[in-house]
Formats: sequence, C-alpha cells, structure tokens
Amino acid sequence: MTRVAYYPGCALKERSAHLERPALGAAEKLGFELDELDSWTCCGAVPPPSEERIMNLVAPIRILKDVRDTGDEVLVTICDFCYNSLKRANHRVSTSDLDRKRVNAFLRENQPKRDYLPSTEEDYRDYLGEVQVMHLLEYLRDVVGFEEIAQSRSTELSGLRLAPYYGCVMLRPEDEIGLDSVENPTIIEDFLVALGAETVAYPYRTVCCGSYLSVSFPESSARLCSNIISSAAEKGADAIVVSCPLCFYNLDSRQKMISELYPGTKSIPILYFTQVLGMAMDLDISDLGFDKHYVDPEPVVEKALGSLKGGGSR
Amino acid sequence: MAEGADNETTPRLRLDREKVRGEFGKRLDSLSEQHILACYQCGNCSSGCPLAEEMDLLPSTVMHLVQLGQSEAVLNSRSIWVCASCLQCTVRCPKGIDIQKVMDVLRQMALAEGIDHFGPDQVDPRNAAEVPQPGLVSAYRKLST
Amino acid sequence: MKRIGVFVCHCGINIANTVDVDRVVEELRKDPRITHAQSYIYMCSDPGQELVRDTIKNEKLDAVVVAACSPSLHELTFRQASAEAGLNPYQCEIANIREQCSWVHEDRERATAKAVKIIKSIVAKTYLNESLEPIRVPINRRAMVIGGGIAGIQASLDIANSGYEVVLVEREPSIGGHMAQLSETFPTLDCSQCILTPKMVEVGKHPRIKLMTYSEVEEVSGYVGNFTVKIRRKAPSVDWATCTGCGECMEKCPVKVPSEFNRGLDDRGAIYVPFPQAVPNKPVIDRDNCVYYRTGKCKLCESTCEVGSIRFDQEDEIVEEEVGAIVVATGYETLPLQRIAEYGGGEVPDVIDGLAFERLLSASGPTVGEVRRPSDGKVPKEVVFVQCAGSRDPERYQPYCSRICCMYTTKHAMLYKHRVHDGQPYIFYIDVRTGGKGYEEFYHRAEEEEGVVYLKGKVASIFRDGDQTVVWGTDSLAGRNVEIRADLVVLATAVVPGTGVQDLAKKLKIQTGENGFLNEAHPKLRPVESITAGFYLAGCGQSPRDIPDTVAQASGAASKVTALFSKDEMEQDPMIAAVDEDVCGGCRVCISVCPYDAREYDEEEEIAVVNEALCEGCGACVAACPCGATQQSNLTDRQILEMITASLGEE
Repeated sequence: MTRVAYYPGCALKERSAHLERPALGAAEKLGFELDELDSWTCCGAVPPPSEERIMNLVAPIRILKDVRDTGDEVLVTICDFCYNSLKRANHRVSTSDLDRKRVNAFLRENQPKRDYLPSTEEDYRDYLGEVQVMHLLEYLRDVVGFEEIAQSRSTELSGLRLAPYYGCVMLRPEDEIGLDSVENPTIIEDFLVALGAETVAYPYRTVCCGSYLSVSFPESSARLCSNIISSAAEKGADAIVVSCPLCFYNLDSRQKMISELYPGTKSIPILYFTQVLGMAMDLDISDLGFDKHYVDPEPVVEKALGSLKGGGSR
Repeated sequence: MAEGADNETTPRLRLDREKVRGEFGKRLDSLSEQHILACYQCGNCSSGCPLAEEMDLLPSTVMHLVQLGQSEAVLNSRSIWVCASCLQCTVRCPKGIDIQKVMDVLRQMALAEGIDHFGPDQVDPRNAAEVPQPGLVSAYRKLST
Repeated sequence: MKRIGVFVCHCGINIANTVDVDRVVEELRKDPRITHAQSYIYMCSDPGQELVRDTIKNEKLDAVVVAACSPSLHELTFRQASAEAGLNPYQCEIANIREQCSWVHEDRERATAKAVKIIKSIVAKTYLNESLEPIRVPINRRAMVIGGGIAGIQASLDIANSGYEVVLVEREPSIGGHMAQLSETFPTLDCSQCILTPKMVEVGKHPRIKLMTYSEVEEVSGYVGNFTVKIRRKAPSVDWATCTGCGECMEKCPVKVPSEFNRGLDDRGAIYVPFPQAVPNKPVIDRDNCVYYRTGKCKLCESTCEVGSIRFDQEDEIVEEEVGAIVVATGYETLPLQRIAEYGGGEVPDVIDGLAFERLLSASGPTVGEVRRPSDGKVPKEVVFVQCAGSRDPERYQPYCSRICCMYTTKHAMLYKHRVHDGQPYIFYIDVRTGGKGYEEFYHRAEEEEGVVYLKGKVASIFRDGDQTVVWGTDSLAGRNVEIRADLVVLATAVVPGTGVQDLAKKLKIQTGENGFLNEAHPKLRPVESITAGFYLAGCGQSPRDIPDTVAQASGAASKVTALFSKDEMEQDPMIAAVDEDVCGGCRVCISVCPYDAREYDEEEEIAVVNEALCEGCGACVAACPCGATQQSNLTDRQILEMITASLGEE
C-alpha cells in the first residue's frame, strides 16, 4: 500500500475528529495510507505580521524540514488552516532569499531533540522548500485521481444534492496556494461528481463564514453563515460540504444562533468532504462521526443509504 | 468597540506634510511589506468584503485614511476588528496590495497602543469549549496582545 | 588642427541648477583642443542658434559640440544651424548633459565634473568626424494601408485624395471595422452608420484606392520609399467579379453560426456578408462551418446562384504590391468575457460587453434597436453598467485606462433611457474621465437630465440568481456596499490590441510596447510614425482612442505619407556601416547579425557590402566584424576609444 506523510494538526485530533477519521478509513480503501508524522507541533495557524519576519515561519518550516529529513517529498494535510499555513510558509522560503536564510539560521540554533532526526548544528541542512504540501482533496485529484475514485466507490451517491463550500483559506491567496481558481473553483464539485452526487450552484461558496469572528463577534459569523445556508437551501441543497474545521463549526453549530437571530432560516446539515467520501466508500456509519453534528445529518445519510439500497450494491 | 465612534461631530481632517507622508505610513509599509500609496481607490476591496456592512469605515476608506496618515481614525475604527482575514480583498486588489495584511498590521499597531481589543477572558466559555482550535488561536493572535 | 567650438546650454534651470555651467566653460577653455567655449541660457532659441552660427563664422570653426539635452530633441536643430553657417552638418555633435547628467544627479560638484567629461568625450569624437553627405533614395509614391476600420478608411481617403495611389488591405470580408458596429456616437449622438457608410462607399469606388478585403499581409521587404509587400488574398469561395451580391445564397444556406458582427446575439450562415452595408457587398464562405467542406455534400448556395459565382475550389492567392509607405491601422479587440471569472466568466447570459450592447441599440442590429436581453428577450428594466472591466488592473488584467469606456458607457446609459423610458441605468465607475470636446457636458446631461445613477466603486462580483443577474458593488461616496438585482449587465471590457498584431509587427519590423500596442517614434513629437522609417500609425492599434482622435491621427499619418511623397527622393542619415574593402575577409558574420537585411555578399569581390538604403546604422555588424573591416561612419572604433580615454580623464 502506498504511504504518504500526513500532518493532522490540532483540531483533527479533538474537536474535528470527524474530519480525520473517515479520511483515514477511505484512504485505506483507496489503497493508500495517511501516515501521521511521528512528532508534530502546531502549524502556526494565522500568525500576525512581525518586525523580524520569521515568527510566522518557524512553526511550519520546522514541520516541513522534519518531513524532508525523514525522506518524504509530499506532505498531505486535511485542515484548511494547516494547509494554508504550511503552503504559504513553503512558498515564502522558496521565493524569498532573505526569509529562507533567516528562518534557517533560527532553526539551526534552536533544534528540538528528536532521537530519529539529526539535531546538531553541524548536521543541519537548510530547508529550501523541498517538500510539496498537498491538501487531501488535491492528493485525491492529482495523485489518486477522481476517475479512479469514481471507479472504486462502493456506493453511488446519486440523488444527493450537495452544495460545495470553499471558504477562504483553502484557495486564497491564489498565487501562493494555487490549488484552484479563486473565482471559479471546481475541485469540490468535481470530487462530489466523482462520487455520483449532484452539485448545487449558489453564489456564496467562496464568501467568508466569519472564521475566527465566531470567537469575538459570534453574531457576525451567524449573519454570514445565514446567508450561505439560506442560499444553498434555496437552491435545493440537501447538505453543504466543507473541508475546514472552522467553516464546519460556524455553519453547523452557529445554526442555533442563526435560528434565533434570523428566524425562518432553513436548517441544513453540514458535511465534511471526508464524510461524504466515507459514505461512498462504504465505511461503517458509526465511523463517520455524525454524532458530532449540531444539525442532524440523518436525512442526508438516509438519502444516501436509500440510493445505496436502490443501487443494490450492499 | 472603538472610542470616538460615539463622537457626534466629524472634525475636519487636519493635513500637513508631517502627517500625510509621515512615520505612520512608512511603518505600516515596512511591517506589512506593502506599498500603501499604490492604492488608487477603485473600491474593489470594499465591494467584495463580506463584513463591510458591519464596519464603520469601508476597507477602501481605511486604505485612504492610511494614505493620509490618519492613524487615530483608523486605529480607533471598528473595521479593523471586524475584518475576518478572509483574503477576498487581497486576491482581488488590482494593484496587488495584500489588504488583509495591512489590516493585520493595523490590529497589531492598535494593540501595541494599548487598545487591547479582545482577551481570552472575554470569550463565552461555551464558545471556548467548542470552537475548533484554529479559530481560537487566530482570534487570540489577531485580536489580543 | 581642427578648430572646435563648444556651446553649453543652461536649459533654463534644467541644467544650470545641478551643473555649474560657468565652471564647465572655464574647464573647457583650459583644453588646448577646444578653440572656443561659451554658455547661453537657451541655446535652442533663436538668439542661441544665431550665437552658434555667428561663432562658426567669426572663429572659423571646423566643428561644433553643443552640450545640451538629448540629441533626439535638438540634434537636427543644431545641425541645420551649422549648415546655415556653412559647416558640414555632420561636424556638429550633441553632448547630452541634461538627461544623462543634470536630471539624474543631485550633487552639484560631481554633476559638474561629469558634464565636463561628457563634453570632452564628445569633443574627442568630433575631432575625428568626417564630413558626410546624406544618402539619397528614390521614393515609390504609392501607399499601403493595413486595416480598414475608420482609421484605415480615413488615411486611405486622405492619401488618395492627395493624388496618390493607395492599396487598402483588410483581413475581414468588409471594411468598416468596429465603427460599423456602433449605434450612435458620443457626444453628439449622430448615427455611426450614417457617418461611416458614405466613407466606406467612397473607398470602394475611389479610382486611386485598390481595395483588398479578406486579405492579409504575409511578408514585407525593402525600406522606406521602396517596400515590396506580399499579400495573401484568402479565397472567398465566390467569384466576386461576377457575383451580383443579390443575397439569395445566404438565405438558402442551412448553417447557423453566431454572427461575429452581432457579437453572437444572432446567427449568420456559412456563406455570409458580415452586415448589409458591407463594402464590398459580396459574400464569403466560412469553410470551417460550411456543410460542403465538412461533409462533401450540400452545395445549396451553388444551385441557388443564378450567375454561377460559387467557387468551391478557389484557392488563396499571393499577390505582390510595391509601395513607398505603409500606414498600420490594425485596430483593437476587447478583453473576452471569459477572462473575467468574477463577472461570470462569459457564462451568465445577461452579462454582455459594450459592443454587444451597441448591437442591441443599433437600428440595424438583431433586435432592430429594441433593448432586449439575450436570455429571454425581455426588455430589461434595471441595467447595470460596469466600467474598468479588465482595465486599470495591473495585477490581473490590463494596467492601462482603456480611455473610451467612460464616454461610451455614459452614452449607453443615455441611449438605454431613450429606448426604455421607465428603465433605470446604473453606472459603476472608478473615475469618470471626460477629457474631450463636449464630453464633460455630455456626462452632466446623463446625470442631470437622463437620470443615470453613477456609483463610485469597482464591482466585486456578478452572478446569476434565477432570471436576474446580481451585482455586488460599492458606493464608496456613501461608504456603503451595494447590491443591485439587474435584468442586464453591460461590461466595459478593456480595449486590447487586435489579434495577430504581434505577428504583423514582426513581419513589418516595427515595435510594440509591453501591452502589445504599436509604439510611436516619440510620444509627443512623433506620435504618428513608427521608429522604423516608412511606417505610420493610426487608430487603436497604437493605444485606445475614440473616433475623433482616431480620425485626427489617421489624417496626421496620411499627411506624413503625402509629405514623404512630395519629394522624388529622400535623404537618409549617412551614419551607417561602411566596409573597408581591403580588410574584409568575406566571413559574412555581418550578414547573419543584421536585423534589417542590409548586409549582402558580393560574390565577385568576395566581400560583404552594405545596402545603404536599408542600413539603419544600428552597429550590430560593426560589433560583430572580427577584423574591424566594418566601421560605423563617424563612430569608428578609433573614435570610441578616444571617447573612452576622454571619459576616463586624468583618473
């Protein structure tokens, strides 16, 4: 079985475990192993700009350097925040001589002890951006292939009307991330179509959900999410599909506040793309983490299972 | 929220060369690695901003005031805290200005001047227990010292 | 010993503020090789030139160096002045102490020292200057105009009406260009067709204009006064000589493809005339879409044609034309809607571009002048116009202002109001630019009297929602964002150079700028000429411009051509490559490096010679010549070495 180095990040180990778990199971069915790094730290999330310019590079570059030293060329991640942070840091050391020198000078002097990696200053090799950072969706598209997925899926999710939601950090900024067009992305649509689902077009798929404002101004996030949800629901979506833990939280859990602030907003289940993949790959329903949702995804799951029964492949 | 937003009058902007091409703009340029004067006020950052309707100053107005060295007006605005760093403005700026980064720097400046906008103690405990970590980390890092 | 006089110009304060002119003169006077040195506040003025002339006579000077601005500005001025005083003009040289010294330095001390070195270096060169005679070349007094839009039409008519023959080459089946598509023109709102078609007809009938439509320039050789142009006359698959233009064939053609002329708002057949007022009014067969060419069957047009003009086996023809000057009037295209993803990427049916809207407004258009939207033919009641769609955006699209959109959008909104009285037009703008006669007044009329709403702010995104098209923008004057649920959206897409202009420019050996527009020789003083002699520019191929400016420029280009034709022969600069026949070994390296095909091999003498008419004096062959046999007249290796020595001074 092919293995690929995998960086989970903090959220996926706890609050967003239902993003990771189906991914691991589905990967296995698709013939590859998401091999979690032996040791990893925070990716740095969204560090503020600073005078010395390298604060925001230290965490992600240390992770990427360890990956390179272990002999891996590709690192897969699932969380959009981690993806953005790792990929932008990688882009920065690849394109800025100054930042590359600075962050390597710092890391050389401040190496963590790892018994499986060289840790003396003499052994230190400058990290030059060698590792390719890939979002799991990107890996599925470019390495596994959506065609292949369409061939290997056990269940065709036909009849499911799903609204892709991209959010912000998975795509932006385009010149540093380069995963897909920022104005007209298609990766989630293409993925869902490969699984046999129908996709719903609506104008809010790249409009922000409020991100961290959920902490400071929850009402702002609620307003933004109500726009997204109403629009998707109005176009007849059975569920919205996301890949970011924060998008999931804002769109799912905020529906409580949305129903208070914007009465009449239709409730709609939110699914991680990995959960949708999990259903298509016939993973055990109990492994998909549907119990972690605020809005019960039962009707969607039912619809998927219904089509499964109709398809008669089980 | 910003002080001065309660002021009933909007005083004239007092402009002089110290102010309009002074330290504030230079420091902002240097910290953000952007060139503020490249902005020609097309308004695209405002047009696409999902949070604009909660701002007291549109993003393009923030950019304009920054060009005029109006640090007080900008650092005391609500807009810089309402920005969710979604990068929509950044990817659409015709002059390639990373406006989100400018907002980040303005927040840092406001925090450095003691306008500690948001601390962990202000989080609703139910929120703190539920919001995925990237959200908490981002909020603390961007909105508090 | 050559007697050299140096004249140092203050250029007002342009030079004198940074360079201590008096000290320069003082330094020069110490140089034993310099007979005379003096300064004057404006050397290019009448008294300044008189000073130069008088001094040449009084001091019996053999050569003159004027230390002033760039030679591109006043070299000719001072050479003429020198000639008037009896000097060979090529004994006059310019030392540039403005652009290359005073303007780029701040330190007065060092700038002064540098000015002295620049002047002494030019003096050293001038010492070895030869007296030269200009090269005389005969002129073929016949012009070619490439492009049959309003620019090419105007230039052709002006040249032809001055008594010279013109060959007008147009790629499309008809002349007329984009102006033929327009409804009414700003700011007077006169009908575009009404003012254009008479000119088209005049071109078609003019005894001195040879019209070649459906034709493209393949190859150009020669030089100013003597060009040979190969033209591909694409096969129309119709014998135009016998075709009566009755139009029967077009009615019978079973094919339907989107009409280019109507911007895809309706269809044309595979055999078609672009529009009813076409000149010539003869059809062509679009072989890519013709059923017969694709399947071998059909020929409905042939069986319909009563005079038997259909020629399925007709082939492209290559013809040659000899001309003395070429006007390049290649026009523009607009940025395709597909390029602008945030405005729907061409997939939202009711988002159209300005030219499409012109067709909707046009009485001869697909809706006979009624404004109806493409999706369902309804009359739109809320219409949003978006300016700068792809313009003024160096990061993602075109960096420049497309210049015509502010006015045509204002016109669009106004004409829309004239057609749909209860409709509301909105215009999103970044700045409204109204630099032109009557333009500001036109803009005021739109706002005050026609009820057009102007909103200052670039639109972020446009998307379809049901049967409406939603526009998210901002009104930065109100400080609020705006949403308009429109029935129709018209984008003022960026003006870009016509397709194929780059290829054509390469064939013609003329220059284009970074945005792909043709470059003029000088932005202010030689705006209608290319830097390559014999080529003249007109219209939007050079940069976006409106009809009045285009027509003015076309007439300007035409008068440059007729000025060239007013002489039997022309004078060319003699500062070109010259070969020392005794030294040349015939290696022919020069031939391979010459960009102008000016170096030829003389089989008999076994040496490489210079075609003086073609040589532009670029110096490529001089640098490449391994044995020093090729030298640039008045810029020989020896002169260059002397200049270097002088520049190094005592250091």
